[in-house]
Amino acid sequence: MSIAITINEEEFTAEQGQTVMELAQQHDIYIPHFCWHPGLSIAGVCRFCMVEVEGRPKLEIACNLPVTAGMQVRTDSEPVQEAHKWALEFHLINHPLDCPICDQAGECGLQDYYMQVGKYQAQMTQAKVLKPKKLDVGVDLVLDTERCILCSRCVRFEDEVTKSGGLGIFDRGDRAIIGTYQNKRIEHNYTTNLVDICPVGAFTSKDFRFKKRVWFTQEAQTVCPGCATGCAIDLAFNADLKRYYRIKPRFSEVNAHWMCNFGRGMYMHLNVEQRLLSAYSAAEDAHKPMLKTDTAHIVQALAEQLQQAQQVALLVTPQYTVEDYRALLAFFVGKLGIRNVHQWRSRQEDTEKFDGVLWRGDQNPNSRGLLEVLAEFGIDKQQGNEFDTLAAGNYDLVIALAPQVLATFADIETDLQKLQELPWVSLWASAKQVLDYRYQQVLALTCFAEQRGTYRNYAGVERQLHAATSPVSAEIMSITALVEKLAACCKAQEDEHGSS
Amino acid sequence: MPDNLTKVKILTAFEGVPDSRTLTCYEAGGGYQALRKALALPPSEITAIVKASGLRGRGGAGFPTGLKWSFVPQDSDMPKYLVCNNDEGEPGTFKDRYICELSPHMLVEGMAISARAFGANKGYIYTRYEFFEEIAWLRTAIDEAYAAGYLGKNILASGFDFDLDHYEGAGAYICGEETGLLSSLEGKKGQPKLKPPFPAVSGYLGCPTIVNNTETLAAVPWIITHGAEAYRKIGTEKSAGTKLFCISGHVQKPGVYELPLGYPFMKFFAEEAGGMAAGRELKGCIPGGASAPILTPAELQDATLDYEDLAAKGSMLGSGAVIIVDAEQPMVELLKVVVDFFHHESCGQCTPCREGTGWLANIMHAYVKGEGKESDLPLMHNISQQMMGRTICALSDAAAMPTQAIVQKYQDELKNYLQAKAG
Repeated sequence: MSIAITINEEEFTAEQGQTVMELAQQHDIYIPHFCWHPGLSIAGVCRFCMVEVEGRPKLEIACNLPVTAGMQVRTDSEPVQEAHKWALEFHLINHPLDCPICDQAGECGLQDYYMQVGKYQAQMTQAKVLKPKKLDVGVDLVLDTERCILCSRCVRFEDEVTKSGGLGIFDRGDRAIIGTYQNKRIEHNYTTNLVDICPVGAFTSKDFRFKKRVWFTQEAQTVCPGCATGCAIDLAFNADLKRYYRIKPRFSEVNAHWMCNFGRGMYMHLNVEQRLLSAYSAAEDAHKPMLKTDTAHIVQALAEQLQQAQQVALLVTPQYTVEDYRALLAFFVGKLGIRNVHQWRSRQEDTEKFDGVLWRGDQNPNSRGLLEVLAEFGIDKQQGNEFDTLAAGNYDLVIALAPQVLATFADIETDLQKLQELPWVSLWASAKQVLDYRYQQVLALTCFAEQRGTYRNYAGVERQLHAATSPVSAEIMSITALVEKLAACCKAQEDEHGSS
Repeated sequence: MPDNLTKVKILTAFEGVPDSRTLTCYEAGGGYQALRKALALPPSEITAIVKASGLRGRGGAGFPTGLKWSFVPQDSDMPKYLVCNNDEGEPGTFKDRYICELSPHMLVEGMAISARAFGANKGYIYTRYEFFEEIAWLRTAIDEAYAAGYLGKNILASGFDFDLDHYEGAGAYICGEETGLLSSLEGKKGQPKLKPPFPAVSGYLGCPTIVNNTETLAAVPWIITHGAEAYRKIGTEKSAGTKLFCISGHVQKPGVYELPLGYPFMKFFAEEAGGMAAGRELKGCIPGGASAPILTPAELQDATLDYEDLAAKGSMLGSGAVIIVDAEQPMVELLKVVVDFFHHESCGQCTPCREGTGWLANIMHAYVKGEGKESDLPLMHNISQQMMGRTICALSDAAAMPTQAIVQKYQDELKNYLQAKAG
């Protein structure tokens, strides 16, 4: 049932059961708040989101205020502004105000609200309450109970989302502190969400803290490549430095407000020191390291091998985009008629795991997409690891697309070892680590953060990638671009043969 | 005195009677006849009688009791609970323990009748941890009532079941707030719950629950026996019946007195309590427990002890704890004690209370040492203003209201104190 209400004299249609806060959020009407979070239950304790309702004697909190027909709400009246200012001052009197050394600075609710509704001269002149600081309370978590404003978001997250109940509020009054239970740490795969939902700098991430001030980062809205769930993410990077710093969840139907710690690690392999920055080819002496080689030469060599080879196979991991698979298969299957396309995956028994929240054992973002594109080219397959089938095949050319994130394959080292024993391998990869092995050639690929494209998650939902930066090196390119180059090279060879 | 202000002994009927706590004595004085009468009535009739009697909550808020019961959804198939708030913690209050001392059976009987009214089959008495003797007396009374068939299954062959248990608090003032009490009863930290929903709809374990004060419940048997009209005749139109007043401070005869509501304050103070102790002079009076704003002697002259007159004077009847302040009592000390108390007892959930009570206490600590400033007084007024009506429960208001009153009414004394310290 729809209800008509007004906020600041503007009319809105609300749903029965909706709160004023929800309605205001929906229409981008600004009501400051700390304890309210759309993914958690209502606590109503920060008392910040005060609004005025016509005909009611007291200000009310918007987060627990159900809409009623004809309700007239004001979020900008003088009493409301006064209440917001004071609410902020109450929050800050015992806050250490250590912004210069706090990693939350730049994305802190206290700072933002001070600029928006505060700007008062502090009136508290007595000593502040001192509380424990720098507590190592769990995976990726540092807790500063002095900075904490006791909004209880973290406690509710532990109770309601992960149902691990790892946090409580101990003692009372202004001595109250957030803490873990005796001899217990918070050790699940979702701990960094506590850092995200903490509106101040009480919880900071061990991984991110002191690495980069947030105002020196930008965020790209893209998708986590860590598993088949495909959580929407904000990927923080510095475009000038081409460096990546962290991953945070962004709201989507798929992942709501959360993501796992494993997925948050998906920025590490993007940075230059982990990356394969150019193409390589085998040295004459098979025991010597591979040699950095011009990409054009490598593509030329591959085109030649394609002409000579009798038995050609593709070995494909489900970590690339639908668009890349289409380009790849259009050339190899559609044009060259190669039908030996094998999936390369981690152990099948691992891929069926699911933790009940978001994380899936199938740590490939595009398992569904790969099978669907294969089917478009008449190759019908079930999900499965065909690495051994390929290794046992008698191929004189194997084009292998390595996983973007090597660590997601439990047997990656054995696989890479086995692969180098095959007669002629063109390995397409983005991780520098592949240079520990010897292949006929290695081609450098872009990573998920450097390209657009589509994944299909475990349920078939399309997940769109958006590029954050241009590739870290001019010598690396996407599968689509490589295939184009290769096709051009093959055509040139054909033309040459045709004319000779 | 007019008829409506003639003293009647309802809650203190057994005052001076030997062994008044025993079942035998209580029965001999007519005890449990009200329960028999109530069990013969349709439950809705009990609520109707209590509504008509004008009985209001005696814990401090003064909410009409029958109206509160009528909020329990009757179509709910969830179990319903009746909880007695015996967590008497408001500084200056010692009336509920007096009922436990005189007539614990009056409370047990009142609970059985009230439970019947809205269909609760389970009740708890939640008693303040420090009331060691009272707890023992209540437990004995419950055992006796079970043995006599006044509690348990099929009470007096009426088909009505009512089980009553006793629960000891753990020593927090906030558990006297009804939802804080329910959190504690559920085994959780004693923190008030966000409203709505109210306990009558979703209380103990999420089930419909009525929380009533000891004194409220103990008045129910008399009302059932004598009828709503008889109770209504006592007191004033909006404050019906009698109330226990506990007077303390420098008076001749501190103690608990049962008086009709509307009784003149000065008459109570001078005649019942015997006026000021020898050589003492009245400086003010906190009429309803530490959270009630203080009244000056001038304000007290025509004050009457009822909900409406004290509210009109900017204070409140509260729990009926009348604290007499004599002229030798420095107001800075009194204010420091008050804000210290609320700072210590704030549960810490809501920011304005958690931070505001601490801030007020900090200011007063410095002030008492002579390290205050005159500007502290308007600051304390402003802090208090922003603590009122801003939180889940009334503890924040309870700290703010007396602070504002003392700061305003005794500001000359507070300013002089600073100058004297400086000089």
